[in-house]
Amino acid sequence: MTDHTDSADRPGDDAGLAAADSLRLIREQQDRARAALEPDARALYGVWGVAWLAGYLVLWSSVQGREQPEAWAFWVFAGAIAAAVVFTMVHSMTRTAGTRGVSARTGAMYGWSWMLGFLTFSMFLGGLARAGADSELMGLASNGGACLVVGLLYLGGAVAFGERSLFVLGTWILLVGAVATLVGLPLTYLVMALAGGGGFLVMAGVEHLRVVRRRRAGEEAGRG
Amino acid sequence: MADALDPVIHAPARLRVVATLAALDAGDELSFPKLQKLLDMTAGNLSTHLRKLEDAGYVRVTKTHEGRTPATYLALTQHGRRAFEDYQEALTGLLRGAGS
Repeated sequence: MTDHTDSADRPGDDAGLAAADSLRLIREQQDRARAALEPDARALYGVWGVAWLAGYLVLWSSVQGREQPEAWAFWVFAGAIAAAVVFTMVHSMTRTAGTRGVSARTGAMYGWSWMLGFLTFSMFLGGLARAGADSELMGLASNGGACLVVGLLYLGGAVAFGERSLFVLGTWILLVGAVATLVGLPLTYLVMALAGGGGFLVMAGVEHLRVVRRRRAGEEAGRG
Repeated sequence: MADALDPVIHAPARLRVVATLAALDAGDELSFPKLQKLLDMTAGNLSTHLRKLEDAGYVRVTKTHEGRTPATYLALTQHGRRAFEDYQEALTGLLRGAGS
């Protein structure tokens, strides 16, 4: 690769063109670097949106005319959630691998928070079951409670990473959980599917627009 | 004046190295293999460029061990960040000057 050392000798427009090239090179390289070092919010929101929408719609359709969804519906739902968890972990860890320092420590603590949150939440649900909670109560507690855990973790993440979109999503999920519990089973499943899953998908779309808009603004700025 | 462009940064390959490291937050470092992958360069090529940048005081090279494997982490120094900002300002100046 040859050095552009001669661009400094050429006057006027040539120097301007070379400068524009260099600025574009910088911007493209930085966009590529940032994209490769952070998890892609669009992918994560999209995966969870699909998992909630599909999983909860399966539970909703299976509960029609029955007291509870059938066992197979619960398995499909669990499979969707498990797939989303695996994707989130693999994607996040691959993107953030090879970095060290403040961001890496913040990210690691955030990951541990999720694990601790759901581990203790499942113990909490176990305690309720042992105390004699019936299936309706367990259904309400597990879905509403999960929204509480997810919503609060998103709010924490918004604080940790300075991400306003996470704050909006976290607030929304908290509301979804509250409403889903208040309306009672089986409507809970429909609320989770449409408002919860739908909310994730809307955020995925919003994030995509932000990326597109940022890219376009960068291109225009580079044209000087 | 077009001669204000920093010759250490001004080579296209080194510019990409500096731009990539500048995308990190001030408190973070990048491992050599990750940086190499981001830049799509050979290890030898990247090492040469990093040595030049380190000699100029723009890049901090930290050699450490992870378990028993040696690992090298890279980051821009304060001096390097400032030099990159000055370089970008010089480029923007050239761009504006070309219009007139």
